[in-house]
Amino acid sequence: MKSKHSHHQILLQALVDPKCLIDYPDSDWELLIRMARRVKLLGRIALLLKSHNLWEEIPPRIANQLTSALVQADRLRQLTLWELDRVLWALDDFKTSIIVLKGAAYGLINLPFSEGRLSVDLDLMVPQSDLADIESVLMTKGWKHRPLSFYDEHYYRVWSHEIPPLIHAERETEVDIHHTLAPVTSRLKIDSGLLFADAIPVHYENVVVLSPTDMTLHCAVNLFQNNELDNDLRDLLDLHDLMVFFSHQDADFWKSLTDRANQLKLGHVLYYGLYFSQLIFKTPVPDGTINRLINKPGYIRRGIMYRLVPLALFPQHPDKPIRSAAWAKTILYLRSHLIRMPLYILVPHLMYKSMRTLLAKIKLLRR
Amino acid sequence: MLLRNQGLKVVMGPFNVRIQTRYKPLAVQLYSLYKHYRLVQDEICEFHVCIVAERSFKNPLKKSVRFLIDGQSPFESFPEEQALAVLEWGINLAIAVRVNHLLLLHAAVVEKNNHVILFPAWPGSGKTTLCTYLIHRGFRLFSDEFGLMDPARGVFYPMPRLMPLKNQSIQIIRNYLPEAVIGQSIPNTHKGTVAHVCPPENSICSAERTAKARWIFFLRWNEKAETNIQPISDAEAFMLLASNAFNYEVLGATGFKAVAQLISDCNCYKLIYSDLEDVTSTLQNMVNEV
Repeated sequence: MKSKHSHHQILLQALVDPKCLIDYPDSDWELLIRMARRVKLLGRIALLLKSHNLWEEIPPRIANQLTSALVQADRLRQLTLWELDRVLWALDDFKTSIIVLKGAAYGLINLPFSEGRLSVDLDLMVPQSDLADIESVLMTKGWKHRPLSFYDEHYYRVWSHEIPPLIHAERETEVDIHHTLAPVTSRLKIDSGLLFADAIPVHYENVVVLSPTDMTLHCAVNLFQNNELDNDLRDLLDLHDLMVFFSHQDADFWKSLTDRANQLKLGHVLYYGLYFSQLIFKTPVPDGTINRLINKPGYIRRGIMYRLVPLALFPQHPDKPIRSAAWAKTILYLRSHLIRMPLYILVPHLMYKSMRTLLAKIKLLRR
Repeated sequence: MLLRNQGLKVVMGPFNVRIQTRYKPLAVQLYSLYKHYRLVQDEICEFHVCIVAERSFKNPLKKSVRFLIDGQSPFESFPEEQALAVLEWGINLAIAVRVNHLLLLHAAVVEKNNHVILFPAWPGSGKTTLCTYLIHRGFRLFSDEFGLMDPARGVFYPMPRLMPLKNQSIQIIRNYLPEAVIGQSIPNTHKGTVAHVCPPENSICSAERTAKARWIFFLRWNEKAETNIQPISDAEAFMLLASNAFNYEVLGATGFKAVAQLISDCNCYKLIYSDLEDVTSTLQNMVNEV
């Protein structure tokens, strides 16, 4: 992708063509590290350098910072796996299968570079019929919710696709338990029964991960619906990694992926995923793949997204932030909310959130 | 001028920190307290920090200051008088959160005759006060806060930074050490009144000379006590040191091995003291006997 902003190029080249890093002057290295830290990709860059045998050639001050990031990623991965182990221990009596999602799942399937990925939370999915029982068992065995306002409680219980996060009293890892992949209020209606039917066992008993196509689609859904803003470039890179990995394992992967997207009515979500992954990370998507998708977004929507997404994906220059990128992020934030909630819920929701921020500020001032 | 625009790249032991501010009163303090520090031009900086002054809408007549790292603000703003304390505190926090290629012990560290002495942090230990005194009596400052240990080589890195004296310690040091360079007293911080001591020039200038640790003292200041040194077991010393480190758990097995090696290389003691002069001569004798 050609970008107008040279700091974007510094980050992007490092990710798609790590060999060019040995030609970076110190000032580019410095900027790269600052931006990569912002978008949680330091670990990724460290692993890329190691896999290209370039580690010995980088400036020592850079190597130290990358090592620090790898040590941290390692520790977080260990904590997440330990939390999974503890949850499985607590739920020993349940016979239903538990789907491990996102970062922890990438580790379980040995997705390349997953060991450098910072994942702070453990994301799980269970059938909705078991959700209440599982939650109460975990709460009798030491997990707790953070104190929540009445509104937040309502938000999670009625509208969201997950229950409020659980944290064990003695540990820090947050456990997010989902019953489907998109909020209940969302325009996307994903039949989670189909996801469970295709899920694949991994080495733990009762533990499964989504099938390759579903894992890829979940990643795309997260990227373009559950907008977390700061993690978007990392999430798009996850999507690229998953598609490259699965298409190497299975020659029919691309066909299965588009078929499944059409079946789950996620054609437009996958459209954007394929488009931007190809545009930015040069994902080798075979010709004709995109055309097999039904309900692609219209020209106007596409045009707007083509302009906004690249601006919002890349981190700002840490010393020279520009306003248009901040606007692009805000518009995409609103867009993701519009998809997640109908207007009659969304407008009061955003008003409530801004009121609460305002009240918190006033309270702080009164102190 | 440089401080105002691109920022000054200051060498702080193994790290380069780029400090930028347009807030004049802070610039004045920095130019006097940081005057012996080495500056670099084109080297890579690990930390890019900035203090910005802003007006709050609670009290538009009064300025407050905010700490930024890489353009992001990790905490709320503070009253403007606290600018220096906020800067120093922010840099410490950034080091504690980001650095994992070294083991970060929470300790005051000094050196003499190429032997490092660690004083692990302990509430009521008075480590900064003792450390300030020692470095004006022939010891070299490594740090009053961070024991930076390279786990592979077992050596400590000096990182001589300004040392924040708190409350009564400020007057004690002014009395005992009239020659010490001490910044303005900053009242009402979250740690009470704070004043920053500038390390002696020779500590700052030899900040590249690493050394291995030989003694660990767990301090307790007790107003009426005579100087009293009691050996403690390796197991107890291990637990006290590891449980009080910044990133011991993050480092996993590496951290465990590094602390185990450190404890087996060092003599570990509990040290109760009240008289700075007396404890200093005890430590000097001990170092000179080796």
